[in-house]
Amino acid sequence: MEAERDASVETAATEKARASRRRRNILVGAIVANVVVIALALVILGPGQQPFNFPADAIKANIENLAPHVVVDLDPSNPPPPGQIIYFHPSISSSLLTMWIVMAIAVVLVIASTRRRREIPGPFQNFIEFVFESLGSFGESIGGKKARAFMPLFATLFVFIILSNWSGLVPPVGKVPSLRAPTSDVNITIGLALVSFATFHFSGVRYLGVRGYFGKFFNFGAFRGGVGAGLIALFVGLVEFFLEFVKPITLAMRLFGNIFGGELALGVITALTVAVIPVALYGLEVFVGFVQALIFSVLTLMFTLLAIESHEEEHHDTPGFDVPEGAIGPTVMSMEAPAHATSAMGGH
Amino acid sequence: MEFIGAGLAALGVIGPALGIGVLTGMSTAAIGRNPDAAGQIRGVFIIGAAFAEGLGVLAVVVGILAIVLQPAAK
Repeated sequence: MEAERDASVETAATEKARASRRRRNILVGAIVANVVVIALALVILGPGQQPFNFPADAIKANIENLAPHVVVDLDPSNPPPPGQIIYFHPSISSSLLTMWIVMAIAVVLVIASTRRRREIPGPFQNFIEFVFESLGSFGESIGGKKARAFMPLFATLFVFIILSNWSGLVPPVGKVPSLRAPTSDVNITIGLALVSFATFHFSGVRYLGVRGYFGKFFNFGAFRGGVGAGLIALFVGLVEFFLEFVKPITLAMRLFGNIFGGELALGVITALTVAVIPVALYGLEVFVGFVQALIFSVLTLMFTLLAIESHEEEHHDTPGFDVPEGAIGPTVMSMEAPAHATSAMGGH
Repeated sequence: MEFIGAGLAALGVIGPALGIGVLTGMSTAAIGRNPDAAGQIRGVFIIGAAFAEGLGVLAVVVGILAIVLQPAAK
């Protein structure tokens, strides 16, 4: 008995030792492979001819510009004015090209996963079903039954943005001029935010009608409760109306800033340190890419749900609608919560 | 000069940093008091953190613009 236990303890110990030795071997192998790759690059490319200032030139070689690189110029006879940031010039930029690649990957993934569906799913179909189901249940936990109409948009935005964010972490993307993560380009995030902006207002008008929807902002009915209450309601409605235009700006800037800033940080750390250290930051960027995709799509869903909700419903009962009220956070909604309260006081 | 301006703009990150710190502390306390609601609190926390972080990112974007836009202004 004793001997048996000793033997089992011993095997466990040797098992552990073997596992740790294996781990150490993998680490040493990775470091050696890194050094070999760097040496090979030095041999093939050779040291530069110009004098190389260590931090500045290394950082400059590793970071991206704000404006995307132009891959195909569709109007070469009419070059954009130099030194200007905002202009209209038809061209296929690096981020646009990468966006098409990401879209193609997403479409192929979905088509391949739904071609031969089986009752008992294989690992690939299982994964796609897991993503689909968790997105669906998450959206439903936010908006209840009302959210079901907007689930396609929510899931599409999430899948597209998460693939775009993560595409910047695949090595050649962002390091060669003609490929770049789509969401690290402000043009594409502004485009996505405009899609969300259009969705808020079109669905608001569709569900509440033109009068009902714009009555939320310009609540002249409040004058029935007296001039003071009417003026307050009008002012609050005006503030709310302008906040509607802040929403797409913050959506676009949050996504762009996080992804672009993350890539800058990754580039700077890669330039300043040796090869193993940036891995920690890389892990952080994977997490940030996931969170930002979730934030963008969840905020789009929430703002749409807020837009289609009328004043009357809000004060009686909204079953299954308790999460967004508390969840929506301090910046935008704290202005709107008293707004509903005041206009309700005037109106009812 | 533009680099000084960009550095000053980056000071705007202080506010969101305080906000996220308060948010994390509060939600940790809330989870400690009511561990059953941890999932719900976590969701609220992530979304609130995203809101606070969005403002910090705006400050960083202003800093980047202060450096990049300088040639256009001249």
